[in-house]
Amino acid sequence: MEHLAYLDAGSGSLIVQAVVGGVAGAAVAAKLYWRRLVDRFRRQPTDQR
Amino acid sequence: MAISPTEVRPEPASFRDPANRVFHVGDEVLRGLDPQAAAHWRALTGSTFFPALVAARKVCATEDAPPTLVPAATGTPWAAVLRHERIPFVSHPYEWSFSMLRDAALLHLEILTAALGEGFTTKDGSAYNLQWRGAQPVFIDIGSFEPMRDGEPWAGYRQFCQTVLYPLMLTAHLGVDFQPWLRARVDGIEADELRPLFNGARRLRPGVLTHLHLHGAMQHRNAAASTTEVRDQLRAAGFSRELLLATVRGIEKLVGKLDRRPPESHWSDYQRTCGYSARDRVAKEQFVAVAVAAGTRPRLVLDLGANDGRYSRLAAGHADYVVAVEQDPTVVDELYRQLRSEGQRRILPLVLDLADPSPGGGWRGVERAGFAERASADVVLALAVVHHLAIGRNVPLPEVIDWLAGLTAPGGAVVVEFVHPEDPMATRLLANKPAGLFPDYRRDAFETLLAARGRITDRLELPSGTRTLYRTVMGG
Repeated sequence: MEHLAYLDAGSGSLIVQAVVGGVAGAAVAAKLYWRRLVDRFRRQPTDQR
Repeated sequence: MAISPTEVRPEPASFRDPANRVFHVGDEVLRGLDPQAAAHWRALTGSTFFPALVAARKVCATEDAPPTLVPAATGTPWAAVLRHERIPFVSHPYEWSFSMLRDAALLHLEILTAALGEGFTTKDGSAYNLQWRGAQPVFIDIGSFEPMRDGEPWAGYRQFCQTVLYPLMLTAHLGVDFQPWLRARVDGIEADELRPLFNGARRLRPGVLTHLHLHGAMQHRNAAASTTEVRDQLRAAGFSRELLLATVRGIEKLVGKLDRRPPESHWSDYQRTCGYSARDRVAKEQFVAVAVAAGTRPRLVLDLGANDGRYSRLAAGHADYVVAVEQDPTVVDELYRQLRSEGQRRILPLVLDLADPSPGGGWRGVERAGFAERASADVVLALAVVHHLAIGRNVPLPEVIDWLAGLTAPGGAVVVEFVHPEDPMATRLLANKPAGLFPDYRRDAFETLLAARGRITDRLELPSGTRTLYRTVMGG
């Protein structure tokens, strides 16, 4: 179910919580950024069509 | 103004979360819940942590009430209505001292941790979620609890930083009082506003690099990304409840570390240096005790210029609740720490400049009620403050008395000390102003003004002969 809280939590404020959560958190943040990077490369050929 | 016992008054501070809304009916505090919020409330009452927090008096006592008690904003009746325990005097975080804000923060985090342990979270992280019973913080925003969704960080983190963590860091790391900053901005301090102050080696102070600089930078980098998108990405990357708990524990550890070594203030040594003789002090204490105890037991006493709280404590012996107001944050912090160590639940210390009391703030200037709107005391103590206002701050004497009368409930009493112009403290203040600037600052003029606004029932000149105390029933 799509859920949106009444309060805008702030995208950057959500991600930084992973970073401050120690080694495990840093790993989550690294994975998130890696996926974003991979997604960008995957999308590019489609975008250029 | 008399309030009808059945008139329903929506709380002006309760509109941001449409799922629930607070109303006042007479002395009662009620909260209407929409169907989803009502379902969350049912789940909450079935939990273990919530009743335990209420029993420990860390969360305000709440019970079900008939849904017909309050009208719904949309015409659809509320799915449920709750009745909350009444907080004796509502205060705002910019009226708290450093240790008060820190203790309120630690309670918020403790409650969040307990909630997370049972699959709940708090929707927000505002300092305004907390109020006080004397020197004990209490969490009041029952509507904030909701079941957590696995894989999601704390939605209230940014708000917590802005209204709690950044103000604490400002004072702990830079020695700057946070109160004027919080008073100026209802949503608290933005990371971008604070970052320029934490440059150079100050970046290395606890929490600054991560919660302030990295947080601020992340906000910029992700400004275009929606929170829904980021939540999905974090969940897919493996953000877990354990990670969230570790993050909250980290914030808790940081807040616990933030401390303030206050500078010695003029007012912190006031009782020793203010020049009362022992005889004056005894006579004054006796007068105040009798003046507060006279008449029906006061529900609320306001002690204006409370300093070390000597007369607040005295008044607390004869009244239900005392609000001790003092201008100097350092003095209030010291008083708070003492009251906290005593487990005091009936004296609330607040930071407030009497010549510049909290105005209304937030949306339309009513979301956070001004001090004058909240203060309606059965007894107002104005001991050794009139000369500071009338001479030190040039407030005309009639206005000082009108202001005292305005803070008093109908039929209430003002216990006021007039420091004669010959008194050493008044002389010291007068020496800083041109001679003859205050020709009306005289005992007889003061007494005439007082008598015009109420009935002077008791009067005592202190043995030193340079100060007079009055008990006046206002409008009486």
